[in-house]
Amino acid sequence: MSGIQVLSDIGWGILHYIIFYPPVYQYVIIPGFAAALIIVIFIIWFERKAAARVQMRYGPLEISPRTGGATQLIADLLRYTVQEIIVPATADFLPFILAPNIAVVLALLPMVAVPMTSISEYWPIPMGYSLLIAVALSTLSPIFIVMLSWASNNKFAVVGGLRESFVIVAYELIAVISLLAATPMTGTFNMVTIVNDQLSGRWLGLLNPIALLTAFIAVLMSTSGFPFEIPDSESELVAGPYTEYSGLMYGLNMGAAYIRRWAFSVLISLVFLGGWAPYRPTPGLVTGYLVPSLIVTVKAIIVMAIMSFLRAVYGRYRLDQALSLAWEVMIPLTLAAFGISLAEAYFGVVP
Amino acid sequence: MPARPVIKRSPRVTFLGRAIAGNLGALIVGVKYFIDPNRITLLYPHEYIKLRQGYRGYIVLKMDLCISCSSCARICPARAMKMLPVQVKDKKTGRIMKKKYPVINYNRCIFCGYCVDVCPTEALYHVPYHDIVYFNMADMILTLEDIQKEPEFITAKEGVPVKYVYDEKRGLVKVAAEEEGKPPQQTEKSKEGETA
Amino acid sequence: MSSQTGVQGSEVPRLPGMVVRPVERRVYEVQIGPAHPGSGHMRIFVEVDGDVMTRVDPDIGFVHRTMEKLAEGRDWIKNIPLFERMAILDACNITLPYVEAVERLLDLDPPERAKYLRVLLCEINRIASHLYGFGIFGVFLGHSTLYMWAFGDREVFVQLAEDLTGARLTHSYPVFGGVRRDIPDDFPQNARKATRYMRGRLDEYARIFLNNPNIRSRLEGVGVLSKNRAAELGVVGPNARASGIKYDVRLVEPYEAYDRLDFEIPIFEEGDALARAWQRVEEIKQSLNIIEQVVDWLEKHPREGFMHDKFWKTAPKLYRDVYEGKIDYAGKYRVKLMPLFATLKVPAGKASARVEAGRGEMFYYVESDGKDVPYRVRVVSPSFRNVIAFKYVMPGHRLMDLPAIYGSFDYFPPEWDR
Repeated sequence: MSGIQVLSDIGWGILHYIIFYPPVYQYVIIPGFAAALIIVIFIIWFERKAAARVQMRYGPLEISPRTGGATQLIADLLRYTVQEIIVPATADFLPFILAPNIAVVLALLPMVAVPMTSISEYWPIPMGYSLLIAVALSTLSPIFIVMLSWASNNKFAVVGGLRESFVIVAYELIAVISLLAATPMTGTFNMVTIVNDQLSGRWLGLLNPIALLTAFIAVLMSTSGFPFEIPDSESELVAGPYTEYSGLMYGLNMGAAYIRRWAFSVLISLVFLGGWAPYRPTPGLVTGYLVPSLIVTVKAIIVMAIMSFLRAVYGRYRLDQALSLAWEVMIPLTLAAFGISLAEAYFGVVP
Repeated sequence: MPARPVIKRSPRVTFLGRAIAGNLGALIVGVKYFIDPNRITLLYPHEYIKLRQGYRGYIVLKMDLCISCSSCARICPARAMKMLPVQVKDKKTGRIMKKKYPVINYNRCIFCGYCVDVCPTEALYHVPYHDIVYFNMADMILTLEDIQKEPEFITAKEGVPVKYVYDEKRGLVKVAAEEEGKPPQQTEKSKEGETA
Repeated sequence: MSSQTGVQGSEVPRLPGMVVRPVERRVYEVQIGPAHPGSGHMRIFVEVDGDVMTRVDPDIGFVHRTMEKLAEGRDWIKNIPLFERMAILDACNITLPYVEAVERLLDLDPPERAKYLRVLLCEINRIASHLYGFGIFGVFLGHSTLYMWAFGDREVFVQLAEDLTGARLTHSYPVFGGVRRDIPDDFPQNARKATRYMRGRLDEYARIFLNNPNIRSRLEGVGVLSKNRAAELGVVGPNARASGIKYDVRLVEPYEAYDRLDFEIPIFEEGDALARAWQRVEEIKQSLNIIEQVVDWLEKHPREGFMHDKFWKTAPKLYRDVYEGKIDYAGKYRVKLMPLFATLKVPAGKASARVEAGRGEMFYYVESDGKDVPYRVRVVSPSFRNVIAFKYVMPGHRLMDLPAIYGSFDYFPPEWDR
């Protein structure tokens, strides 16, 4: 038992039981906190640059001109870290502080329920009903935004929270049914089977584009993406439900919406865009776990980039118009998408 | 040919046409500018606009042309120009006389150019730049020596001069301006070393 | 003033100078305040019942600078830069009625070329002002692309104005008897390039903003001002013309060179916010036509007649040298002012003049009693007349319609508050 063998045993232990232990890996590293934070930083930078390209200007450029200002968001994050957090005396202290944190923690919870590879020893939970569990966990976090707006005790925040609660009720049904439209075509809730079926090249997004469209729009509605940027509509209600927050809590709130968007994007890319297809994972740590998760990450980044681009093209809907769009147009469309799935399963057009 | 009123209607489209064609039209315009952007931002202070002669910038006095008529001080709308009596030696008669020369308070000047336009001997002129910085408000009230010197243009030392030319497809296009040679009066640093 | 609004039936202490107004239980009062990103420098008291506004009360006066009183202490020519800062966007349109009224008192008629030059700058300012209105409208609706595009394209016209007058926004261009500068040599071709560029851009504005189903649904049928109501409230400018009233000062009482130019005045009949937005787009197109005609005329005719002979006939040779650019440090085509302007004494009398500014009809009343300062100048600005529409149009709409209606009326607080 030489020292090198002990060290290599310890290293193997750390690698297999701590870092690449599936629940930890998926909640903390990819697609969990580490990946979410890094990707959110660069997606916000991309959003500002994409909007700037359309709008006759440069976007962030001063901080590091040679990389096109890519480190701008890191500078913003440093600024938020050292800024003083002011809690108003009239606000309800405990919910004010806890609600954003709980919202962020719950936003990433669906990531523990999805598979990142098809090799069974790298699944965090048994994958039998993983689609149902992931979709159910994704509905937990929005209520805390209403809680934080209520705790702020400010007229603008309350009106913003009210609008957010209307939007939450509207979009959830659309998101759930659109994501579950994958079930009739593959006949199972097991996400590993759903992705493995798409290895044949027929992605569910191509077979049922309406479901992909409604899922995309539902994600836009839930995470304040343009044209549905109603809760934090800056020119009408200062900052919506997040008006009273400053310092790191403000940064956390702004990031929370993007983190939820990231979680939904991973779900969409697994269900509709083929997951880790066309790569077939082989046993082993790198090829079996790391590489498929990176492929899923890249697809989710593409979905988020398209959502960010829409900022440059659309304005903001009025609240009752967004709600009437959701209840009168999108729900029938979603049910039609579900019906198309059933029809395609009946006629055998399956991946 | 007087004007004629004409009744117009805003375009009406059907619901489906509005939903599909409208969204597609907006998205296509967005993608077109995403691929080929038309940026007009001036990256100041790394670049600065070299303005043409005729821009109403800071004001400089040519003392030997001034005849002390005080028209500039009388016409200044902001009361920024005042006449200062100084003892000078008159060239023709050789006696020491008291003559009045203008000085400017840049705290008040609105750069309207009335003083330059009203001077009967063309003793005042504009320099084509406007971004001068002072450290305190007392420096902005110029003395008689300072008003005869062109202010020091710090941006020209550190930045690249550019010019915007008109273009039919892109509106304004930024091009590098060529250097035109030395300005008519050499700039001297003031004795205190501060910008004036 | 502290308004202690109490629930119906409760006791509220009354202090001197206090206004008490009972608010019903269902109603929620929101103040869109002066330091809000959604309003200009004005405050709007809104009482909201659920999501529907029941009472809207604009509270104006935050930018009051007592311009009419300040004008009584300054000489006649010094008031031109003063009044210009009322609405610095269309500077020439704001100072032109003052200059015209004083010219009526002096019994002068400016020569031809001066009139065409004034029309040129007026139309450039009108386009810049409408584009500014579009930009603010875009920001209120959350459409940041229109905001950036409107201000970026406005830069083209501000640059044209800078070539003409020497300053980007504070032109101070018309003076009694004529204008201060003539067009530079490369101005006609630049102006033509600018007008061709802007015509193409207006199509893109229509595609990304006005025909965008998102924005269109926010504007169509919102803030409808019927023709009778508009006439009753007395709104002016593009707001009235979008409701079907055929009133434009350039049509009714042509001034300067407008009766010799060929242009249309668009009238829309629907009266909603979408019609007001299209009205401004059509007016920009007509202004581009006018600029092209004026530039053609200015190119063809010789460079004389930019200043009235009363002030130019006795000018020394130096003035003509400066105009032709023979003095190298002095710029070219600059019209020097006679020292007489500093102590101009205007004969006693009363005169008035009106002009179609970017936002509506601008009216000045000037009274003089023979001295070198005015006795009274009264300004009626177009925003002054439009703000009453907020009180009567907005109730009944939803709270999120307030930015759409506010932006479509193109209200500019410094212009009303003077």
